[in-house]
Amino acid sequence: MEMLPSGLPNLIDSEEDLARFLTQGGHYNAQMAKPAAFLPSLKDHETSVSRHGFEPLERLWIIGRDATNGRNLHGVAVFKARTVGTAQLEAVADEPPHRHAAIRGWPWLDDPELQKAQQKERAIVLAVASKLLLRGN
Amino acid sequence: MPEPVSTTIGICWLGYSALHGYARGGSAVSTEAAAVREAASKVVEFAERSQVLFGEKSVAISQLWTLANDCDEQGWDGYDASAINQAALFTAEQFLRALPHDIPIPEFAAEPDGSISLDWIVSRNRLFSLSVGANNRLAYAWLDGADRGHAVARFDGNNVPARVLEGIKEIGVYGNASLRAA
Repeated sequence: MEMLPSGLPNLIDSEEDLARFLTQGGHYNAQMAKPAAFLPSLKDHETSVSRHGFEPLERLWIIGRDATNGRNLHGVAVFKARTVGTAQLEAVADEPPHRHAAIRGWPWLDDPELQKAQQKERAIVLAVASKLLLRGN
Repeated sequence: MPEPVSTTIGICWLGYSALHGYARGGSAVSTEAAAVREAASKVVEFAERSQVLFGEKSVAISQLWTLANDCDEQGWDGYDASAINQAALFTAEQFLRALPHDIPIPEFAAEPDGSISLDWIVSRNRLFSLSVGANNRLAYAWLDGADRGHAVARFDGNNVPARVLEGIKEIGVYGNASLRAA
């Protein structure tokens, strides 16, 4: 199996944890991370995540700080890689940086609103399957 | 005998609705019409500052503007997000004004393409998420137990599309004014 510079395998296992870091108060509430937190970037048509679970927590926050370019890190939403398949998307290892992965396969259509509607439906799947951890908790 | 407060507010509300129509402009061009419109605008502006008349909607509109302020530059999410689109902000405000009073105020979130997400979240298994972007076509998606889907509806600036209202009601938020506090 091909290994990456981080020591992780190139292929993401369905039971692996993926972390999406949250830098906006509007991207979560007391119950959960919201769908908007998982929507893809316009620039590269993908959602950046890190291959890391809640433990060890100290390392998770270090990865989060680096992944979000020093923005105010509010928390993290962690979900299993298999959820990405349930949402009809694909999780792909994408180093560097270490442990970085990308969620790809988002609908990209000629009709931007229909595209957004389809993306939202997939983002909902990721949001409801995520466990939320806020910083300081 | 003084009228009950609720009746008085109701009458004020009807009057306000008519004024809001004037304040938003029209085809009349006479000096008198312009004066009426200007006066109506002032009344509307004053009324919208009043918590008594607007309550939650006034607070929500302030929150929308705060969100836009927080996300007014590229990369606000630490990744590559676009700044909130001004047209999206205006449309989201119109949508809030048009939202029937028995539908709870949604939660807001910025989206990476500069749109604004309006979310009604009942639980992890029941939510409705609507996206307001740079034009009047609204993208939305929902989860209702095992059922989920998506669609697009056109917003005329005054009336929330019937299909959107039905979708919000179907996830069980109808009449639940305390949704945001949940």
